Amino acid sequence: MAARCVLQSAGTALRSVQSDLSSKGLLQRTLGLSQLTFLGSAPCRGLRQVVEKKDGKTTVIEGVIEPTSERPQPPNPTASCPIYRWNLQNKYNYTDVLLLSQFIRSDGGMLPRRITGLCAQEHTKIAVCVQMAHRAGELDHPRNKYCLLRCYRYLTRYSVNSVKPIYKTGLKWCKKRMTVGHPALKNNIRYSPKPLYIKH
Amino acid sequence: MSSFSRSAQQWATFARSWLLIDARMQPPGKIASVCSVRLQGKHKPIYHPLSDIGDHVVVMNTRHIAFSGNKWEQKVYSSHTGYPGSFKQLTAAQMHQKDPTAIIKLAVYGMLPKNLTRRTMMQRLQLFPDDLLPDDILRNLTEELPQPREIPRKLSEYTQEERDAFPMLWTPG
Repeated sequence: MAARCVLQSAGTALRSVQSDLSSKGLLQRTLGLSQLTFLGSAPCRGLRQVVEKKDGKTTVIEGVIEPTSERPQPPNPTASCPIYRWNLQNKYNYTDVLLLSQFIRSDGGMLPRRITGLCAQEHTKIAVCVQMAHRAGELDHPRNKYCLLRCYRYLTRYSVNSVKPIYKTGLKWCKKRMTVGHPALKNNIRYSPKPLYIKH
Repeated sequence: MSSFSRSAQQWATFARSWLLIDARMQPPGKIASVCSVRLQGKHKPIYHPLSDIGDHVVVMNTRHIAFSGNKWEQKVYSSHTGYPGSFKQLTAAQMHQKDPTAIIKLAVYGMLPKNLTRRTMMQRLQLFPDDLLPDDILRNLTEELPQPREIPRKLSEYTQEERDAFPMLWTPG
């Protein structure tokens, strides 16, 4: 038991050396409304209790892992990316706020890929969904002032200030279309026979 | 219903009903297509383009419509009165600020059949920017139509238990 603790602590020490942020620093930095809840209910990696034992001249300081509460296991634990571990590959959208809020910082920005462990494609998809959710006003931290102007929107691909009006739409064969949604989500599961309608 | 008397059956088929639709967080195009179907009377099995059997439609909360994509900035409404120098082009956001009911009105106008009955159907469409409706219209309303788009829940609308029940996908470290 003690040997396993020592090995685990050595492993984590190695990993913390490799990554730029230590886990403690990350936890302290990412304390936001959504993150505080998971810290209380489901501890991330097993909180350790520092136990000091003195046997004469030798003192042994070890971190004893506290017993963690029962957490639901992912259906595919061998995959490297968390989305593939839980088999959510093509199933999420900008509306799944509970999923997206796990990958954002307290100020609304995305967490880096090396911290979350996402693969490149899923990281871009999640980033796109987070952007769309911010512009739709679904996440807690509003990043656009257009909610005040009461111009509600959803599935916005481009930033609101960067888009120019289409004064001349053109003829039918060369029409300038207004884009809705993002092509990164084109592989999402659809339960209707119609394909994803991106060019409105 | 077959159990109705003849006069009651006649009244039930040919009456012009008042329908309500809430446009909060809905795409205006979908609202307009639902309105145009009801205004023409195409939802009735006794439809004929010459018989004037459309219903009245009342749309509330037109100020709170939600365009998909970047249409607030990209969609342009153009008008020309015929006089030189009077070509006006307004983006959807500017139009909405000037008149909160204009977007849905123009959308419905474009979806109705392009004949003389269009003007009478537009007179039967009532648009209100907020949910404050006049008393006489409230008294006439019979049915509320379902909203075309399902409004997604915000993060603040989830309870703490639901947030805790959702599993953690990844752990740091």
